[in-house]
Amino acid sequence: MTSTSHPIGPGGPAPGPASFLGRGIPRPIGEFRWVYLWGLPLRAMHWIAAISVLVLVVTGLYIGNPYFVGGIEPGLIMTKFRFAHYLAAVCLATTALVRVYWLFAGNRFERLKALFPVRVRDIKNLFRMVKFYLMMEKDKAPHYLGHNPLQQLNYTLVFVVAALEVLTGFIMFGLAWPTGWIFKATSWLVPWFGGIQNVRIIHHSITWFFLIFIPAHIYLSFRADVIEGGGTVSSIVTGGRFFEADEVYEDEDA
Amino acid sequence: MHGSTHPSHLIPGQTIGDRLLERGVSRRDFIAFCRNTAILLGLGSAAGPRIARALQAVRRPTVIWLELQECTGCVESILRSGDPTIGNLLLDVISLDYSDTLMAAAGHQAEQAKDASMKANMGKYVLVVTGSVPLEENGIYTMIAGRTAKSILEEAAEGAAAIVALGACAHWGSVQAARPNPTGAVGVRDIIKNRPILTIAGCPPVPEVITASLVHYLTFGKLPEADGEGRPLFAYGARIHDQCPRRGHFDAGQFVHHFDDAGARQGWCLYEVGCKGPQTFSPCPIFMWNEKTSWPIGAGHPCIGCTEPHFWDTMSPFYHRLPGVAGYGIERDIDRIGATLAGLTVAGIATHATLTAVQKARRRRELPVIQSPPGGGGMPPQREEV
Repeated sequence: MTSTSHPIGPGGPAPGPASFLGRGIPRPIGEFRWVYLWGLPLRAMHWIAAISVLVLVVTGLYIGNPYFVGGIEPGLIMTKFRFAHYLAAVCLATTALVRVYWLFAGNRFERLKALFPVRVRDIKNLFRMVKFYLMMEKDKAPHYLGHNPLQQLNYTLVFVVAALEVLTGFIMFGLAWPTGWIFKATSWLVPWFGGIQNVRIIHHSITWFFLIFIPAHIYLSFRADVIEGGGTVSSIVTGGRFFEADEVYEDEDA
Repeated sequence: MHGSTHPSHLIPGQTIGDRLLERGVSRRDFIAFCRNTAILLGLGSAAGPRIARALQAVRRPTVIWLELQECTGCVESILRSGDPTIGNLLLDVISLDYSDTLMAAAGHQAEQAKDASMKANMGKYVLVVTGSVPLEENGIYTMIAGRTAKSILEEAAEGAAAIVALGACAHWGSVQAARPNPTGAVGVRDIIKNRPILTIAGCPPVPEVITASLVHYLTFGKLPEADGEGRPLFAYGARIHDQCPRRGHFDAGQFVHHFDDAGARQGWCLYEVGCKGPQTFSPCPIFMWNEKTSWPIGAGHPCIGCTEPHFWDTMSPFYHRLPGVAGYGIERDIDRIGATLAGLTVAGIATHATLTAVQKARRRRELPVIQSPPGGGGMPPQREEV
C-alpha cells in the first residue's frame, strides 16, 4: 500500500498522539529476498515426526507409569495406548529411514554435510552462537541461511537420540514375538546394553529428553522469528523465509 | 553301576523299561508320564509313544550331580516336581550316582563312589551342576573333599556326555555373583567353554523343565533346542508376560498400586509394583510349582526375573518398574529427575524470553525514532520505490 492510495490520506491514519507501539516501528530498509530452504519432503517429515513424537510421549508416559486406573469397564486402555504407541513408533521409524535417504537426496540445507559444522569458520561461529544465546554478544550473531552451527549440532543430537529411542523401543517390542525377525535382529544387542532393564531405562529417560527439547525448540524458533523478523516459524510450513538482500550469509555458497 | 551307593542301582545295563517293571510301575502310568512329558516338550501328545519306546529301550543313564556354591534350593525344587515325581524321576528314570543332598553315603565313601562311577561311565554320564564356581583367592570359598569347586567341575565335565547347568548359580552365579561379587562367583559356562551346556534357568527353576529335558536327551540322544543363554526353547521360548493369567488386567489398565489396595485383592496386574514378567522368559505361568499349586504371580507377588542373567543387579529394585539411576538411588527415580530438568527448562525459557524482551526494548530505544510526517500519526513513511 502506498501513501498516495491510503484511504485516509497521505502518510497514513489521521493525526493523533504517537502510540507506544507505533512509535518505534522502523522503516523497512533495503531489499529482502525469499530463500527456499526446506523441500516439501523435509517439511512433511518434520510434521509427521512431530506428531509421532507427541503421541509417543503421551502414550509412553502412560505405558511407563499407568497413572490412571481402569474402572469397572476400562475398555483395554493399555492395549489402546500401546497400539497408538507402536503405530506412532512405526511412523517415526519410517520417517527416520526416509530422512536418512534424504541426507543424500535433499538440497544443500538438508544433506549430510549440513548436519555438522565442517569449516573452521563454522566451528568459530559455534562459540559465537553460544555467546549470542547467552546475550553476551548482542548483535554479532553469525548469519546463516540454513541452520547455524549450534542448531546443526542440536538437531544432529536429536537425530542420534531419536535413533537410540527407536532402537531401544524395537528391542523391547521384539520380546513379545521371540520367533520374529525384530527379536532376531535386535536381541543380540541386549547384553551390550547391560541387560533389558538398562534398555528400558534408556528408552524411558529419552522421553524426558524430548519433553525438554520440544519446549526449547518451539521457544527458540519463535524467538528467532521475533528477533530476525524473517518468518522463521513459517519456513517449516512454506519452505522458505525472508533474508535481507544486502547481508552476506556464512553458508551462501556452501 | 560300580560303586553306586544305592543298592538298587547295582544292575549294569538295565534299561529304563526293565527298571520300571521291577518297580511295579503300571503301563498306564508309564504311558501317562510319556504323554505328559511330550506335551511339556511342546511335541504334542502324539509324540508320547515314541518317547515310551525310546525310554523302554534306553539304558538308564548315570547322572553325576555336583552341588557347588549354592543353597540347595534347586534340589528342593526338583524334589517337589509334580509329574513325574521324585520317585519315578530320580530312582526309576535316572541312576543318580552322586548327589551331596540325596545320597546316603558320606565322606570318603561318597567320593570314591563318584570317582568309580565317572570312570566306569566315561563319556556317557550326564553331568548336572547346581551352584556357582568361586574363583577369588584360588577358589577357596567352595571346597568339597579338600578340592576347589573349579577343579571338581573341570574333572567331571571332562567325561560327561552332556552338561546341564541347573539354576541361576550354575547359569551365571546368582546372588553370590551380584555386585560386588566378593567370592568371584561365575557360572558353569564361564569355566567349561566350547561345549554346549543346557541351562535350566531360574532361582530355583521349574522342576518339570529338567525332567522334560532329560527325557528329551534320552529319547532323541541330544539336548533340546536352546536360546542364546542355553535355555531350552520349549520352556523359555516365551515371556511370562505373554502367558500370564493376569495379562487381561494389564491390557485393561487395571493395576495394583500398593500390595494392600483394592486392586491387589482383585488380583490385578502387578506391573506397577515392579513385575518383571514383561522382560522375563520362563514357563512359570504354565508349569507352575508344587504339582501346579501356585507360582509367584499367582500368589500375588511380582516376578523378579530370576531366569534372566544377572537378575539380582539388573532386575532390582524388585518392587519398581525401572532400575535406580546410578549414584542417585531409587528414591530419586528418572521421572523425578526428568520432571525437574523439564521444569528448569521451562523456567529457563521464561527467563531467557524476558531478558530477550528487555534487550529488544533497549535496542529499540537506541534506534533513531522516525519522525512521522506532519499529520502522519504513527504510520511510518512508505518506501519510495514501491
